[in-house]
Amino acid sequence: MENMNESAPILKVEHVKKSFGDLHVLKDISFDLKAGEVLSIIGPSGSGKSTLLRCLTQLETVDGGFVQVDGKDMVVPTLRQAQGPLGSGPAVKYAPAKTLREIRLSTGLVFQNFNLFPHLTVLQNICLAPVRVLGDERKDARAMGRFLLKRMGLEGKENSYPCELSGGQQQRVSIARALAMNPKILFFDEPTSALDPELTGEVLKIIKKLAEDKMTMVIVTHEMAFARDVADKVIFMDGGVIVEQGTPDHVFRESGNERLAQFLSRFSKA
Amino acid sequence: MSDLSNLLPILWGGFCTTLAIFGLTLLFSIPLGLLIAVLKMSKWRVVRYPVSFYISVMRGTPLLLQIVAIYFGSYYLSEYAGVDFSFDRFPAVIVAFSINYAAYFAEIFRGGIQSIPKGQYEAAYMLGMTRTQTFFRIILPQVVKRVVPASANEVITLVKDTSLAQVIAVTELFALAKKQQAAYASIYPLFVAGVFYYVANLLLSVLFAYVERKLNYYK
Repeated sequence: MENMNESAPILKVEHVKKSFGDLHVLKDISFDLKAGEVLSIIGPSGSGKSTLLRCLTQLETVDGGFVQVDGKDMVVPTLRQAQGPLGSGPAVKYAPAKTLREIRLSTGLVFQNFNLFPHLTVLQNICLAPVRVLGDERKDARAMGRFLLKRMGLEGKENSYPCELSGGQQQRVSIARALAMNPKILFFDEPTSALDPELTGEVLKIIKKLAEDKMTMVIVTHEMAFARDVADKVIFMDGGVIVEQGTPDHVFRESGNERLAQFLSRFSKA
Repeated sequence: MSDLSNLLPILWGGFCTTLAIFGLTLLFSIPLGLLIAVLKMSKWRVVRYPVSFYISVMRGTPLLLQIVAIYFGSYYLSEYAGVDFSFDRFPAVIVAFSINYAAYFAEIFRGGIQSIPKGQYEAAYMLGMTRTQTFFRIILPQVVKRVVPASANEVITLVKDTSLAQVIAVTELFALAKKQQAAYASIYPLFVAGVFYYVANLLLSVLFAYVERKLNYYK
């Protein structure tokens, strides 16, 4: 089992590039992640962390590079790119829509602003996609939804509407909604940035619990202590490139990188 | 008072025609308006431009003129262009009202659809929902809540606009009241017709207030 994981990363990212017009947001991003691992991505605002996450979850398209999720090629470079910047035309080719959808179904995303469906109850939010997309039986989906809510510490909230919950509770519902699809990788885009400081703890605790259960996760966050504690691997991004990556100990203690030291010092002062 | 007991059955007959125009217009113009709203947001210019032109004509010319154009236009088509088709009065009114109100509803619906945050689409996308599922299960229910107040305005205006049907001699409430005004040599029948319109709109206002309250279960 361990060996299988060693040989086949569940997420493989090579030389990914992304520009918005003349702005090169991602310059050359490469890393991979094995099943059961937790990756924290840290870095200053505008470093490209969120864009990277949006590219990996297909909310944005990449302009160059290779991405493979769970053994399926999501996007591959075309020959044109390999030959250099000659001629026009796209430098990458995306997989057919059917494959992209399969990949999407194996990845979940927890948004900064939750993006719960306000007109649906907590339980309906969680059950909608399992029933309508995966074709689960309604009663099975509801049982699963209740189980997940219990895990999130939200028993008795199934019939509440999102607007009746605190930010921390809403974010926990959105984690449950993502988990209900049984994803192989769960992505978090600054899951606590929209929360009041006193509410971040309850969400981070849930994510830690998921890490203990060996959920594969990629977490973009500004919570440094959390990034260090929960992760098997940390990536520090700045200016669209990965400046440093490695184990938490390596990135937070041993790295002599100046930009990283400067970035981290801002947090110790605060 | 015997005046009133003669007058009421006559005006009631006209009011039924008014209600028919009202009901049928809503029945056709709301779905049509939703369709037009979606078409106006199309990424293709060939779709978007004609739809914009249609909306601008419908909103930029009098409904009165549109009723006349539909009725006599179809008449002239059948007379001179050899097209074997022309509208009767009542269907002409329904067509004119429906395409006119659809344009107004379309703009209300478009505003409602565009006010839904992008995150709702992204959340549905990440959950693997199709575009159709996303529209009907996530977007549209939220749009309904947002467009109720503006739509209520249109619906109440429609009750009063039905009186324009008299321009091609459809005997709705106002046309009959005017005939009675001549017979009675008094504005009294017009006043009674006014009460009909007012009561109808009062009921509609109560209904819309109720619907708004019902939709207040979420923010």
